[in-house]
Amino acid sequence: MAKQFDELRERLLRAGVAPRHVRRYLGELGDHLTDLKAEERKAGRSRAEAEAAAMGRLGGVDELSQAMIGRREFQSWSVRAPWAAFGVAPLLVLAAAWYVALFILWSGWNVFLPESSTPFVRLQGVAILFFGIGRSIFFGAPILVGWGVGLMAARQRLKAVWPVVSLVLIALIGGTGQVHVSRTPVAGGLGYIGMNFNVGPGSLRGVPAGVVHALVILLITAAPYFVWRLMRARHVLA
Amino acid sequence: MAMRETNPSFMNGVPELLILRLLEQEEMYGYEIVQAIRSRTDAVIAVGEGVVYPVLHGLESSGALRSRRKTVSGRSRIYYSVTAAGRRRLADLSATWSNLTSAIQKVLTGAQYGEAI
Repeated sequence: MAKQFDELRERLLRAGVAPRHVRRYLGELGDHLTDLKAEERKAGRSRAEAEAAAMGRLGGVDELSQAMIGRREFQSWSVRAPWAAFGVAPLLVLAAAWYVALFILWSGWNVFLPESSTPFVRLQGVAILFFGIGRSIFFGAPILVGWGVGLMAARQRLKAVWPVVSLVLIALIGGTGQVHVSRTPVAGGLGYIGMNFNVGPGSLRGVPAGVVHALVILLITAAPYFVWRLMRARHVLA
Repeated sequence: MAMRETNPSFMNGVPELLILRLLEQEEMYGYEIVQAIRSRTDAVIAVGEGVVYPVLHGLESSGALRSRRKTVSGRSRIYYSVTAAGRRRLADLSATWSNLTSAIQKVLTGAQYGEAI
């Protein structure tokens, strides 16, 4: 039966049924099948006969999949509105993470470096840890969001188009986002922190630093997804 | 999986009605519901038993049912019960179904034809 459930799982996921609904459906079908087998065994059938009868009573893959696929409420958002799942949502998550990172930078600047005109100076003690958290969030967010996109696409067995669009978008924004700071004219006043997006002043062998950064993010985020796709394709062929 | 003969009309709103009616009396899990439908309809309504779960999940997502996981005799199962919204839905479905069967019955027995003459 495991093989039949595998086929059912793949069919449901490819048809756009959300993974959580698929998991629950298959779990309950598994329980139901166990009950059916027990009932058939109690009726005096052999193990093989009981299994065959139970499978027949449970329903065929076509019947079981159509009953689920025909209901729109079970469709995943990544299938219903891929532009939102792979376009808007990752960017909102990235924006939220960067907001937190910039808030850490701003608050650390005002707490640990009230007299400094910039927070980008040599740090000491607890400040290293505090600013380190903000820096990790800032640079780690595009990678984590990208991995999230890959995971979402893999779980739903989606074609690569939307995930690739999303990963490229995340890499471009993640690679070109730059923080700039300024202190108000009042001595010891609150600092201002903002962001802009450009390819940056520096370059690596003629390639702008922002582009290099974007390519690195794209490589790190896309690699696991494409390795998974490759392994899956081999598994299906096998 | 083996192919089996099923009753397609079962899928046209009837499962909701039967499930809500059964669960109105007591909470049950999927296998129990299917067995109850089978025994109370004298197996007239035949269906791939697994097909009951999308109906249950749909009723739950629309607020007509609630579910809870319960362990009985060492086995963990999902039990379903009717909500207040489910009772209202059952009343609506029952009324619709009664009207429909009554209308069909009139046609079958020729009452309408007789009245017209």
